[in-house]
Amino acid sequence: MAAQRDYSRRASWRVLTQLVRPHWRLAVAACALLLADIVGMLLIPTQLSALVNVAVGTRNTTELTSHGVAMLVAAVVGSGGCVASYYVASRLAAYVGRDLRVAVYKKSLALSGADFNSFGMGSMITRTLSDANVVQQTLLMTFMMVFPVPVTCVVSIVLAYGIDPVMGRMLLVITIAMLAISGVAVAKSTPIFMAMQGFVDRMNSRLREVVTGTRVIRAFGKEERERGRLDETFEDYATNAIRVNMLFSIVDCSTFFLMNVVEVLVMWMGADRVGAGAMQIGSISALLEYAMLILFFMMMAQFAIIQVPRALSCLTRTAAVLEAVPSVADPESPKCLAAPAGPRPGDEVARFSHASFRFADADEDTLHDLDFSVRRGEVTAIMGNTGSGKSTVAKMLLRFHDVTAGSLLMLGTDVREVTQQELRSRIAYVPQQAWLFSGTIAENLREGDASTTDEDLWHALDVAQASFVHELPDGLSTRVAQGGANFSGGQRQRLAIARALVRHADLYVFDDSFSALDYKTDAALRHALEGELANEAVVIIAQRVSTVRHAAQIVVLDDGRVVGRGTHDQLMETCPAYRDIVESQTRGGATADEGR
Amino acid sequence: MKDDKNVRDEKDQLDEERPHDAMGTARRLWQAAGRQRWRLVVAAVSAIVYVAASLGAAVYSAHVVDVLWEHIQQSFAVGEAYVVGLENGGREVLIYLGIWTCAWAFYSVQSLVMSSFAERLNLALRKEISAKLGRLPLSYFDAHQPGDTISRATNDLDKVSEVLQRGLLQLIIAFTTLVGAIVLMLVSNPLLALVFCGFAALSVAVTKFAASRTLEAAAARQEALGHLTESVEEAYSGRTVIKAFGLEDASLEAVESRADKVATTSARADFLTNAISPVIRFLMRLSQVAIGLAAGALVAGGQMSVGAFLAFFQYVTQASEPLTQLSLTVNMLQGALAAAERVFALLDAPEVSPDPEVPAKLPQPVRGRVAFGHVRFGYSPEALLMRDVSLVAEPGEKVAIVGATGAGKTTLINLLMRFYEVDGGRITLDGVDTRQLRRRDLRREFGMVLQDAWLFEGTIAENIAYGRPGATREEVEAAARAAHVDFFVRTLPHGYDTLLTDGGENVSQGQRQLLTIARAMLTDPAMLILDEATSSVDTRTEQAIVRAMEAIMENRTSFVIAHRLSTIVDADLILVMDHGNIIEQGTHESLLAKGGAYATLYRSQFA
Repeated sequence: MAAQRDYSRRASWRVLTQLVRPHWRLAVAACALLLADIVGMLLIPTQLSALVNVAVGTRNTTELTSHGVAMLVAAVVGSGGCVASYYVASRLAAYVGRDLRVAVYKKSLALSGADFNSFGMGSMITRTLSDANVVQQTLLMTFMMVFPVPVTCVVSIVLAYGIDPVMGRMLLVITIAMLAISGVAVAKSTPIFMAMQGFVDRMNSRLREVVTGTRVIRAFGKEERERGRLDETFEDYATNAIRVNMLFSIVDCSTFFLMNVVEVLVMWMGADRVGAGAMQIGSISALLEYAMLILFFMMMAQFAIIQVPRALSCLTRTAAVLEAVPSVADPESPKCLAAPAGPRPGDEVARFSHASFRFADADEDTLHDLDFSVRRGEVTAIMGNTGSGKSTVAKMLLRFHDVTAGSLLMLGTDVREVTQQELRSRIAYVPQQAWLFSGTIAENLREGDASTTDEDLWHALDVAQASFVHELPDGLSTRVAQGGANFSGGQRQRLAIARALVRHADLYVFDDSFSALDYKTDAALRHALEGELANEAVVIIAQRVSTVRHAAQIVVLDDGRVVGRGTHDQLMETCPAYRDIVESQTRGGATADEGR
Repeated sequence: MKDDKNVRDEKDQLDEERPHDAMGTARRLWQAAGRQRWRLVVAAVSAIVYVAASLGAAVYSAHVVDVLWEHIQQSFAVGEAYVVGLENGGREVLIYLGIWTCAWAFYSVQSLVMSSFAERLNLALRKEISAKLGRLPLSYFDAHQPGDTISRATNDLDKVSEVLQRGLLQLIIAFTTLVGAIVLMLVSNPLLALVFCGFAALSVAVTKFAASRTLEAAAARQEALGHLTESVEEAYSGRTVIKAFGLEDASLEAVESRADKVATTSARADFLTNAISPVIRFLMRLSQVAIGLAAGALVAGGQMSVGAFLAFFQYVTQASEPLTQLSLTVNMLQGALAAAERVFALLDAPEVSPDPEVPAKLPQPVRGRVAFGHVRFGYSPEALLMRDVSLVAEPGEKVAIVGATGAGKTTLINLLMRFYEVDGGRITLDGVDTRQLRRRDLRREFGMVLQDAWLFEGTIAENIAYGRPGATREEVEAAARAAHVDFFVRTLPHGYDTLLTDGGENVSQGQRQLLTIARAMLTDPAMLILDEATSSVDTRTEQAIVRAMEAIMENRTSFVIAHRLSTIVDADLILVMDHGNIIEQGTHESLLAKGGAYATLYRSQFA
């Protein structure tokens, strides 16, 4: 457990350094500017005290003016440095945040479906967006509020030594004492502050429960119970929040008290040193200012530091994604798929060779010992009851999953020996859930092939029975909402089919794509496809018998095993499982299939 | 839907920071504070005393330095080393410490007294909200995004407490300090005071200018973030398509360009937000240089003592900080009042009509005859959805409701359960008008399984026993067995004591659905409402759900919203809905024979 935490912490640091490294120039610049800021800031009281010393001593106007000018320069350098360092640091943090978001997103593309789902979609969105945001903001805050502390301490003490070594030593002792106190305060308050996050989360999740579950709550008459539960969380939150506030108040007040004591100490000791002739009266104010600035920055740092653990856990979460090893990966030295010279109907396009697949956490194969070929100019249909593993067959063809035994060949080459991009460029796929991207219809269709002419897009739409596009006032330029939400399920499905048809592929995979279509469209579509894809291999995964009835080859799956393979007529003779399916679909709807 | 939300977000951003009725809202907050008000009074008084003491300390510091300087010069005049003792300046130093300690004490009082004020006020308001959530009509929850309501109870109240915690007193302290310091400057040296005031005016102008820019920049960042969120969410939802079509590079490019936009805008917003303070500080330093030069000349000319010089600088330092704070705090205060207004808007939202004073009683045992008589209903008065709906469900019948999305299937259930009230006509249960019943008494008779499998954070056993907290473990297990989920629960490491968490990663959507069926089963209701949940469920679990539903419907009047017609072929009554009205009703055979809408629908699913 501890070892794992160590590992994830190391992973987080590794990720952070990788993120900052490309921007090291910005980081160095920000630090240099910060140094200028603090030196300038501390030189102002230094010059002011020198000015006072001249005013009460030699009263030389030229010297007075020169100290005034020095102050002015210090102010310009200091404030300029501060503003510039904030500018650079804001950019640095923003770039790191951007790179982290992009890196997580890029990684998500490399992950297989199973890898992605093990994180979960909601969690992936959080990691890509808000976790990266927290990291970015904390980085900036740490730079602005924590980094100044050591710099201010060192520069102040050096300047104080320059004024008077005794006072320098005193400031050193004060600084160390205050650092110790701050350290204790941070150590004590961090766990309480972290616990606060838990109360906030619980408050949010219970509220979400009540707000989203109103129907159920009322159906069960549980309004009072939910109110009690909410009040309980609110009370817990309030109690803890008050504790945190108390703690902040105490830290705040203690710092204040410390400031008073330090101020009087500096006055007293300073007056002594002036009396001893070791320094001049005006320098007291400079020393006072140093001490106050150190205290001020330490207090700021305390508030910043207690938030760092939260950012660290965000960083750890993103690091977990970045360090994940994809379960489906491209080979080291990928082969190329053979370009079929003069493809002829009957050529083998894909071949399952005793292929099995099992999910990593499962006890049984989802698909077991699949052994069949998919050929050009033929329709291969995959049939089976729900849960028989039909869709997994499509996912294997696209290499969303890898075989766990046996092999799968595409155009004669094992799919694991070519890049995923290359493999998928030979396949046109219509997913079970037709997902369209926001944009226009044309943009969506051109995802199949970017160079397609409008004419060809219309042709694909016509083949896909998506003639409704003709009736849309904007035609191909019609807006598509995210997911295709502004179209009906059947329209979405037909657009997804058109998108696949736009692609010139060797293999067309329709994953349960006909189920959202009505019977007439289904038939018309299949008929149109026959002409369109005469020289390509087609895999249709379907539930309806009528969809697959004319396929050259029907593969019947049951619990992941092939229980029958052949034409409709053959299977009706030999395969009881197939007969069951056919019967279940004609029962109660005997009229539905007549005449076919 | 999505578009509506974005439009509202943008409008919100413009509105968000400005309260509509600042005084009224402040007064209401004051009332809500109740018995906590003394804290505010004590804190305000302490804050003012603190400011007075700290300004006093600044005045006195001039005296201390003068006394020390005098003694040092005396010692130097006689050629002796000077050592601080009580008699030659030490007393003054200690008195100075005393004044500061006094200031500190009052500062501490206000800080500690206020540390619980805001959270107590928030707790009171949050409890009002939790009570309110039980009285709001369903229409409120349907019309508002969950996030919107949640954020009122959390973020908005946090904004209020943040301001009450520090902002309000900071405002008092900043204001009095500024006024006091300027008065002291004027007394000490009017000319130098004027120099300071000039710079102060300049810095206020700069702050105002910068603040509006900051707001713009923050809005730009928010917009860029919104775009990025959209594309990431979309890409994650459609990642299968992206991979299948080899669109990885294009989508990465799209996300990159949006992330880039976020980086640019957020760098700008962060920079502007943080750069205000150093710029103001710079102006204050310039004023210090100017004052330092002028005052130095005065001291050199003997017109000003060293002490007075240093004290004047103290006034300048003390007045500089609040100047920046003031304008920022005013913005915060406005934001908090606007947030409080949103909370009050929630608390003021119209509530459900009260139950009848003398509620009717259902004849026991409930048989389960449900009748809709000429029901008229619309979600808004101007858009009527149901014009004239009548139907009768006899005891023990299975009633299936089919139709396209938006046809009014869920509305029927909403009216039946009185989540919404009918606008005309009536709904009766065993002959009793449901409006004459207490809502609880009516709803108690129904078991409900909804598409969205809502479970609360608790153990599996607690969730199943939600409707009957007193149920024994045997009863819980029996219900689970009937819902075909017992085996699954047993495979979990903690069995029935497994904690269901928000993410719920250990329990899939389908299994959650089965748990809700078990939950409905345990209450053994006279009637059932089932919204067939098959969308987010894998096919194998889908079958289990259908089986479980079949089991639970035995001998109960049940209303089934059907998505897959195969499950309702055996229904006693099928209602086909379209645009809020029942366009066909009958049995499967009669409707098929009729060859109308149902027949078409059925053929489209089973060809």
